[in-house]
Amino acid sequence: MAAFDIVVIGAGPGGYPAAIRAAQLGASVALVEKEEVGGTCLNWGCIPTKTLIASSELFARIKSASSMGLHVDKASFDYGAMADRKDQVVGKLRNGVKQLLKANGVTVFQGTASFQSRHSIKVEPSGSGAEPVILTAGKTIISTGATSAMPGFLPRHERVVESRAFLGLRALPAKVLVLGGGIIGCEFACMLAQLGVQVTMVELLEDIVAVVDADVRRELRRYMEKTLGIRILTGVTLEDIKADDHGVQGRAGQEKLEADLLLVSLGRKPVTSSLKLENAGLTPNERGFLDVDAYGRTNVASIYAVGDVTGGPLLAHAATAQGLVAAENACGRYLHKNETLVPNCIFTTPEIGSVGLGEQEAQQQGRKIKTGKFSLTVLGKALAIGEPIGFVKWVADAETNQLLGAHAVGPHATDIIAEATLAIRSELTAADLAHTIHAHPTLAEAWMEAAHVLTGEPIHSAPPRKPAQ
Amino acid sequence: MVKAVIMPKLGQSEETVKIVRWRKQLGDTVAKGDILFEIETDKAVLEVESFYTGTLLKIVAGEGVTVPVQTTVAFVGDPGEPVPDVPLPAAAPKKAEAARPSAAPSSQAGSGIERKAPKASVTPAPSAVAAAPAAPAAVEPQLFRISPRAAKLARESVIDPTPIVGTGPNGRIVERDVKAYLEARGYASLRITPTAKQLAAREGIDLLSLEPKEDGSQIAVADIERLLAERPKPMTRMRQIIAERLTESYTHAPHFFVTVAVDVTELESLRAELKAAGTPYTLTDFIVKAAALALEQFPVVNGTSDGKSIRSRSKIHLGLAVALEQGLVVPVIRNANELTLAEIHARAQALTAKARAGQLTPAEMSGSTFTISNLGMMDVENFTAIINPGESAILAVSTGAKQPVVRDGQIVIRTIMKMTLSSDHRLIDGALAARFVNSIRKNLEEIKLWQRLT
Repeated sequence: MAAFDIVVIGAGPGGYPAAIRAAQLGASVALVEKEEVGGTCLNWGCIPTKTLIASSELFARIKSASSMGLHVDKASFDYGAMADRKDQVVGKLRNGVKQLLKANGVTVFQGTASFQSRHSIKVEPSGSGAEPVILTAGKTIISTGATSAMPGFLPRHERVVESRAFLGLRALPAKVLVLGGGIIGCEFACMLAQLGVQVTMVELLEDIVAVVDADVRRELRRYMEKTLGIRILTGVTLEDIKADDHGVQGRAGQEKLEADLLLVSLGRKPVTSSLKLENAGLTPNERGFLDVDAYGRTNVASIYAVGDVTGGPLLAHAATAQGLVAAENACGRYLHKNETLVPNCIFTTPEIGSVGLGEQEAQQQGRKIKTGKFSLTVLGKALAIGEPIGFVKWVADAETNQLLGAHAVGPHATDIIAEATLAIRSELTAADLAHTIHAHPTLAEAWMEAAHVLTGEPIHSAPPRKPAQ
Repeated sequence: MVKAVIMPKLGQSEETVKIVRWRKQLGDTVAKGDILFEIETDKAVLEVESFYTGTLLKIVAGEGVTVPVQTTVAFVGDPGEPVPDVPLPAAAPKKAEAARPSAAPSSQAGSGIERKAPKASVTPAPSAVAAAPAAPAAVEPQLFRISPRAAKLARESVIDPTPIVGTGPNGRIVERDVKAYLEARGYASLRITPTAKQLAAREGIDLLSLEPKEDGSQIAVADIERLLAERPKPMTRMRQIIAERLTESYTHAPHFFVTVAVDVTELESLRAELKAAGTPYTLTDFIVKAAALALEQFPVVNGTSDGKSIRSRSKIHLGLAVALEQGLVVPVIRNANELTLAEIHARAQALTAKARAGQLTPAEMSGSTFTISNLGMMDVENFTAIINPGESAILAVSTGAKQPVVRDGQIVIRTIMKMTLSSDHRLIDGALAARFVNSIRKNLEEIKLWQRLT
């Protein structure tokens, strides 16, 4: 038996930073992980997918390099080598996290944690027949994350995979059917299409990536369909799904669809089944997630929860921020509230970055807003790098011009959203942003131009039309 | 044709009436039945309707002006019609006070304003003329002197410069004073987001009056909005009247309280029987009657005192407190002791409906000699009420609930309803209050009485 001030369950992007922060604050910290440190994000999510996407995007650009005056003969790829590179990147980052945990004096237990009581946690070591360890916890932070939902109507077959299993493939199929047009589905679809895979996507809702701004969605869909050649079927269900050793089949409406592989991206569900939550008096909500208050506390005062297991935006950076807040609150340093402004990044081609209030959301709330939009098709840097696609858009309060939301689609949209996030969190007005000097020529200039548009004084776009005299 | 709008005489006692708010502005079209303006009597705020259709051509008595009843306060007619000059009758006792809230250079303030009328000054309203120059005169003794540069710095820093001690000629505040003040008050360490600062400037909030955030973060829009939400706002006229009258009553009349528990088991079953037979009564109807009978028996309680003399009253008029969204009103059932239960029921229903619709006249709200406040439907065990001014006692009726009680040495379940009498001790002593409230209780429990009266 070992006693710790803080026990963190799950070493993903929510859990391991929480453990490090708590240790920095002088607490004795145990971190329990049943698989690999780094969690979904580092091992089977953000990092491996972005590594593969970097390869696929570069390949797509090489193929179109003649438009930039470059001639590359016979461009080809080796998916096995791409997957090896992905594993190297993941391995390097994973080792880095291990080193950091060690350097900060966090004790890592390899195994599956379950509650025996509020303050007692049993760890069953993974694999070997070693004895379970009982940890006594002053406070506990649950960061067990989420896993892909695989509803019961799907056949269980090696040709029916979710994102994690897909990342384990060493060769690419020729035809892929993507079920679910959410963020994960779209990212994979873009990557596969760029590598020459024939992709068909089926989405139940009326449009893909319903979470993002309608203008942004339109731009993405147009590019995916027109340029990447992805077939997108929306407002329809995939039925009669069958899988055998020759391929997968399904029916969307009247049409029969066939492919070599079915990639399932139907959302994520929380990982709580092994925790024995009831022994600690924890009650998940009707969707199985653990509700927390603004300070990260569950319904049990000594137990916090962060990241995907709490529902919310299911984003690694949100989990990390919540992990730090929970660790500081649990250590009693001072009481922090979770940040509510979370940027959302989607690594499709073109990329999407968004943060804060959306235009449609504002309309639903009946809030009076103004918008300022600037097209990247006329921005110097976007033209120079040969990617004149997309736009940036501000949403601001109609009365004060306070910046409330930002939406970008286009090259490096996921990088440039950082500036918008800082501006919104700092409650800057459109005028503040417009008066901030932006380096030229850069993609980030688009924010300044869009702010000028919002205040009605654009330099690099046509002035708002005046009513006829 | 131009029609004069006459201040109606709404009650017996009102000689003068104050106009609180004009709901129609000069030049507005007015239909017959439209609400023209709101008036305030010593009891309530009321709406006055137009008898005519046309355009509001002239307002003789503006907001905040008190006029005698039956005088002309405005004219309605066709646009462009000549309007007679009518002087405002000198009836307002508190003109200066009334005009102050709108003494700012606003065209709707004061009285006697005509749109596009170059001769408007021919009939100057005394109140408007009196009020305008009076306002700055009040500040005169301590003249606030500040240089333009200093004022600009203070404005840009979003601070209130009035506490700054000036070192310029004649104690004038100059720029260096503002700078020194900002430094002394630690202005440089103040952290605020740009939008929050802009909002503070717009709302006239002194940034130095803001408390720094506990966690050292920037003052944000939400902090300013919280401050704005906590700013005092004027109460509605109705609430102000309630505040004034009840404070006067509670501070002038020494209150004391006597509570009794009434067994309404049999009364409730009688009420259910009557309801089944098609004659529904409310419990309040019975309480009104029971109280009226008790007042006949104890006439002292029906009287009133100012602490020096006693005034007895031969009529028994019962007030019923009615809760509204914005406050409460007390319509009066006159001569309640002479009415049958059915008559009481009919009047109570009619008055309550009018009260909820905001249509009670001052006459319907005045002259009560005793008041009943029934919170029975609000699930309360017991409460005390404040005596209505001009009366000596009030009965607070709570919710009837099933309780175990002892009857003839046995524990039985009965429906018990508590009533608390608040009495003015200047007139009523404890023993009298006890006998009086028990008399109401006995009346309510006397089932034969009700069998006779219903």
